[in-house]
Amino acid sequence: MIGFVGELFVNAAFLCSILAVVGYFLYAQKENKRYFKISNWLFGLQGLFLLAASGLLLYIILTHQFNFYYAFNYTSSDLQLKYLISAFWGGQEGSFMLWILFSTLIGFGLMRWTREPYRGPVLFFLTLTQVFLFTMISGIHIGDFTLGASPFRTLAEAMPNAPFLQSNPDFVPEDGKGLNDLLKSPWMMIHPPILFLGFSMMTIPYCFAMAALWKRKYNEWVDHALPWTLGANIALLTAIFLGGYWAYVTLSFGGYWAWDPVENASFVPWLLGTAGIHMMIIQRKSSTSQKASIAFAILAYVAVVYETFLTRSGILADSSVHSFVDLGLYNQLILFMVAVTGIGLGLFFYRYKELPTQDKESKFLSREFLTFSGSMVLFLIGLIIALGTSSPVIGRLFVENPTPPEVSFYNEWTMPMAILAGFLTVLGQYMFWKKQDAESLAEELTWPVAITCVATLATIMIGGVRDLYYMLYLLAAWFAVIGNSVIMWRLIRKKALLIGGTLSHVGFGILLLGILASSAYNENLLSSSVQQYNNAIERGEVTDEQGFQVTQKVNLMELKLNEPKIINDKYKVTYEGYTLKDQARPGQQQYRIKFEPADGEGSQFVMKPEVYPMLSSSSASNIQWSVDPDVRTGLFSDIYLYVSGSSYVKRKNDEAKEQAKKAQPASMESQTDSANVQKVTVKRGETIPVGPFDLTFNSYGEVSDSTFTDSVSVAIRANLKLTERGSDSSVSLRPLFSVYTQDGENWSYSPPVTIPGHDATIRFTSVDPSQGGIELSITGIDENVEKEWVLVTAEEKPFISVVWLGTFLLMAGFSVSIFRHWDRERKKT
Amino acid sequence: MKPKVLVGIIAIVGFTSLLMYNFGNSISTYVNFEQASGMEGAHVVGTLDKSKDFGFSMESKQFSFHLKDQAGNVRRVVYPKPKPNNFEQADRIVVIGKMKGDVFYANDMLMKCPSKYNNTDASQFKQANASKS
Repeated sequence: MIGFVGELFVNAAFLCSILAVVGYFLYAQKENKRYFKISNWLFGLQGLFLLAASGLLLYIILTHQFNFYYAFNYTSSDLQLKYLISAFWGGQEGSFMLWILFSTLIGFGLMRWTREPYRGPVLFFLTLTQVFLFTMISGIHIGDFTLGASPFRTLAEAMPNAPFLQSNPDFVPEDGKGLNDLLKSPWMMIHPPILFLGFSMMTIPYCFAMAALWKRKYNEWVDHALPWTLGANIALLTAIFLGGYWAYVTLSFGGYWAWDPVENASFVPWLLGTAGIHMMIIQRKSSTSQKASIAFAILAYVAVVYETFLTRSGILADSSVHSFVDLGLYNQLILFMVAVTGIGLGLFFYRYKELPTQDKESKFLSREFLTFSGSMVLFLIGLIIALGTSSPVIGRLFVENPTPPEVSFYNEWTMPMAILAGFLTVLGQYMFWKKQDAESLAEELTWPVAITCVATLATIMIGGVRDLYYMLYLLAAWFAVIGNSVIMWRLIRKKALLIGGTLSHVGFGILLLGILASSAYNENLLSSSVQQYNNAIERGEVTDEQGFQVTQKVNLMELKLNEPKIINDKYKVTYEGYTLKDQARPGQQQYRIKFEPADGEGSQFVMKPEVYPMLSSSSASNIQWSVDPDVRTGLFSDIYLYVSGSSYVKRKNDEAKEQAKKAQPASMESQTDSANVQKVTVKRGETIPVGPFDLTFNSYGEVSDSTFTDSVSVAIRANLKLTERGSDSSVSLRPLFSVYTQDGENWSYSPPVTIPGHDATIRFTSVDPSQGGIELSITGIDENVEKEWVLVTAEEKPFISVVWLGTFLLMAGFSVSIFRHWDRERKKT
Repeated sequence: MKPKVLVGIIAIVGFTSLLMYNFGNSISTYVNFEQASGMEGAHVVGTLDKSKDFGFSMESKQFSFHLKDQAGNVRRVVYPKPKPNNFEQADRIVVIGKMKGDVFYANDMLMKCPSKYNNTDASQFKQANASKS
């Protein structure tokens, strides 16, 4: 029932959006207010239906209705509320819904704030993209063909080939598959929505550019579109930043950027959108470059759709660490892409002859030319990244079954571009605010260049930079920082709201510095023995059991409990034990790795990386562990550390293997004889090691319990504390020792007490009052255990903070620009 | 034709061909273990051979397992890092590295997790109480 209503709502919204498209088209053609009103109502109704459908989907998720594929596939009944809500956009169907929801909200804003003659076409194109998005989730059956994948489809509809569903279509699973453990992170709450906000806002420059072409008003549109485009850029940048930060601090990817197709998918539209912003600003200032700003505005959205196609069609399945569910939307996504590109570029070239051209060419030293060059650099970076991401498609020109390009492809091509962009930001800014010739520019730049050289030299000396290429890069980055800062300083004194551009450019320069420092000077933290081993590998002295020379260096080290090791001559590192924390993720261990300065001066700190079993994919006989690194953020460098193995994890795995063996009846015979018994004596107040445990005998007390009959002469309970070594949680055990008289003879009675969580027992077998000690008999614990250990991978990453600072300044700069342009637009009305 | 346009065209053609040339060099094709011998950075796709042991060795600090490539060749693969997340779950594994003798030395590994559930094993499903439906 709910499913039917849900699909009905989605398709009612779909229908409304189709009608609204027609209405807006008529309004755009005839400029009759009546059509505008009707279309707005249809658009609003579409929004209502969609909201209702979203509410129903959320209801299905929250009430665990696992007969629905979406709830089954992305949630489970033990999921916390926040992850249940995140599951709404955890799958493709829901994320399409979220995308349309944001787009609808933006539509209301555009209705309110856009003026004629652009209003009609803008809303027409916005609604048109929504129609395409609706086709992805409609789920309407036309004969054998199903349009899109409905979020409300049942299990039986989603898996028509599964035999158990064919025989029993009303089958309801007991529990869902659950959200992937790696996605159970607070970032999952915020990263995807902001990304889709960015995607939907990127539609706006496209709509305005198309409206300009339609209405042949090629100039004023940029005033309207600029604040929106800036907003789209901030949203995308924030999403990229959050994604990078998420990857860095909670996934063990080892860094914030990996040129993964999914990361690229949001980066390319951002680059093209930024190129578009530059051209729009020039068009506003100088009434030139209409062609370029329209082209970039179109291409930015084409990039959004193209990257959506790449990531959602299943094409990239082999080349990304992300996994994609292939919903069979391939053809629809192609159609969407072809339509957006075809309509966009088609209209652009149709009107091309009519578009204003410049009377005379811009000089090399002009803000028009320099800014255009800057945009082209951004565009080319975008193109290169898009090319790399497209390797499964375009790579077929070269080889069959192509692999993704090596990471060096991206780095080698973007680095010279970034250097060029760094220089262009300063030249462009100097020309932007004042017309100058080469001579006056050279004079103005004397001091910035001098300071840049000093800063670069200082960096080279302090950082020990040897690479000539890096030196050039540093020069460009410092030049961008210093040159733009000088201009920013001048602008602040004139009118503070004008600094958006320069602030962003300063941020860009700082970002460049941070990227180089954090990626090229990343250092593994290793103990001296591992370092010696690695040196031996470097000298080619190590061979493996096959007799081959080992070439792969080791980048992890073993730490034994409470045995400090000196790493990189810098820190004294001690493994201090672990805590079992069951609240957040059952079975999670939090390890304590203490860092002290090796020379004893300075402060110490404790890193707390975590390891947890992946519940959605583990079973009793096979536990899959996942790691959650800990990052200590510092002003100059971060320490990034995760535990890649430990004696605790190994024991648990061994236990799981035992379990798996027990489950097979064939190996039953080995069970009985393996239990070994050991007797220990322990004095009061003493702690002794027993296998992997530390056992403390606190006290004993006589039991005056009425349950014992008179025949019992002595009844004593020992008060024991048992701690698994390394762990800081312990259990209390109170084993009983009693002596009773039966038939005139004394008998002792000491029942075994189970150690919780282990297949072992303790019996209190005897008392030695003269020594104050007791004897215990322990069954099922190995006597010889190795010392507790952890395997640690640690890296020192310099100046990650600078990367974040650069990103924040970029965001701040864009935000200031939004205020400035929005402010101006409001004053016009 | 204006000289400026000519220069522009030459620049674009030059840039594009250099880019495509470099791009073509930086991608390779997925191969099997036999084709991988002698290659640097070979990409091999395969499935985990669960009949053989796999695990991390504390002595050599290496993770080793047996992979069956798409041509059916089974080879031992060593990887100088601990067992990656999702390892057993993966329905396909891509290893990137080179062959030395009969052993593949992987520098990188990608786990491909199952994404289609259309043929899910029925035993994975547990029926809920009848009252629920």
